[in-house]
Amino acid sequence: MIKITINGKVTEVAAGTTILKAAAALNIKIPTLCNHDLLEPYGACRLCLVEIIDGDWSTVTTSCNYPITKEIVVETESTAAVRARRMVLEMLLGRCNTSPELDRLAAAHGLQSSRFELDYDDCILCGQCERVCREVVGANAITFAQRGVDRVVVPPFGEEAEQCIGCGACVYLCPTGAIQIQEDGEQKIIDRWSRVLELKYCKSCGVEVAPVFQCDYFQKKADLPTDFFDLCRDCRVAQR
Amino acid sequence: MENLNVYAAKMAPQQEFLAGGHRACQGCAELLAVRLVAKTLGHDYIIANATGCLEIVTSSFPHSAWKVPWIHVAFENAAAVASGVEAAVKVLQRKGKYPVDRKITILAQAGDGGTVDIGLQALSGALERGHDMIYICYDNEAYMNTGVQRSSSTPYGATTTTSPSGKVDPLGQHTMKKNIVEIAAAHNVPYVATASPSYPFDLMAKVKKAAETPGPAYIHCFVPCPTGWRMAPNLAVSIGRIAVESKVFPLYEIVDGEYRMTVTHKNHRPVSDYLQPQGRFRHLNEDHIAEIQQQVDKSYERLLKKVKMSSIELD
Repeated sequence: MIKITINGKVTEVAAGTTILKAAAALNIKIPTLCNHDLLEPYGACRLCLVEIIDGDWSTVTTSCNYPITKEIVVETESTAAVRARRMVLEMLLGRCNTSPELDRLAAAHGLQSSRFELDYDDCILCGQCERVCREVVGANAITFAQRGVDRVVVPPFGEEAEQCIGCGACVYLCPTGAIQIQEDGEQKIIDRWSRVLELKYCKSCGVEVAPVFQCDYFQKKADLPTDFFDLCRDCRVAQR
Repeated sequence: MENLNVYAAKMAPQQEFLAGGHRACQGCAELLAVRLVAKTLGHDYIIANATGCLEIVTSSFPHSAWKVPWIHVAFENAAAVASGVEAAVKVLQRKGKYPVDRKITILAQAGDGGTVDIGLQALSGALERGHDMIYICYDNEAYMNTGVQRSSSTPYGATTTTSPSGKVDPLGQHTMKKNIVEIAAAHNVPYVATASPSYPFDLMAKVKKAAETPGPAYIHCFVPCPTGWRMAPNLAVSIGRIAVESKVFPLYEIVDGEYRMTVTHKNHRPVSDYLQPQGRFRHLNEDHIAEIQQQVDKSYERLLKKVKMSSIELD
């Protein structure tokens, strides 16, 4: 166990715990938009910047992917950390102006608007969609492409995401609402991945079950009978 | 949002604010809804809870299932207490005695009795004064915790202990369900919605939206009650889904007076699919069911008209 001090509060944590988790256990809230407990830390949004003081040496770094290995002092609200965070927020506001969470954080840091011109579509490249698709779903339908200012999350070659099963995990996690799922007649559409999925309807009651491709995916993955998804959940239970 | 599946469910918040081991009946959809609401709001909120099933099962002395500040108040004044809490938080923040950088959500919750009958004037007052709070009504369509007495939220044709169906009067409840959602919307509040725990992502998205909306928000949550509705506990979630699929309880939201359907189905079930598994509708004959189908179709059509009206740009 290693002794660390966060904002003056002293606690003991196991070696390898990230600062973000240690702070959460102390009920100290560090803002973040790209972290999720079930995903590998990625350090993309840079909002969780904190100042780490080790003797007479100090640095500002992301807390989500900083494993604690020795006794350190962490300041989440020091001048350096807050200044760095405010700059990051201003740059994020230049990418996205539709996220209430981002607006609230900006207001808390005394920012009303960004000095940068808004010229990107709401995506802040937090990478949660890419990570959930790879690590949790295992579909690998989308990926990062290009470098530097051109960096984007796209399906391979920017075409229709053929591996996408339309599960909506990326839609659910997106912190800015840049990924949307729509239902249009007999189709389910994720515009951002140019994915159109045909829906399957229950043979008994006519209510939609799920996209055809997703039914096939689950049927194969779980080794279910081929007619398993012909009925919706409720009709399946009723007929048992 | 309603068709997200297993993977999205895995990514929902893990931390629980309603502890297990409370005394709700088997298959209680109300506690399911409460758990989802508590998860969505995170830990910065204060609850004012009216008397009802929810209060009884989560706070039997000396235990409490709540991991957040929770105030139990009388049947009639959940909304009034919540507005007082909201005003107090504001004052304390102004005086510097309370953290300013954290957004504290004030949540008032009550059952249908505490909202539609007894707490109506307190709710109306709180909505009218414009407090920044969320009011959630968990509607199980009767006074379940005292032994299934009818409330004005009980639907047409349902039998309860105070509206029993018998030889002389076979129908049961004679009146229509009070449309509390419209009453709330008539206060011109920024956010009004209907929700159901059978559509968890829809419910969570609406609670999040309500918390982010400045000013009062009202959410009407449809919670099947196996005990009071005389049905098998394992049907609680699916009967909520069938209620939406058969147009009995459409899911929609009203943002600044604009109606929008959040869950739509291309094909609908007949209303008998919804009535058949429930013992409280067991006595209904074909004519009654046809009458209910007619009522349901009519009110759904009226709702669709409002949705259509909202999308028309007036010049």
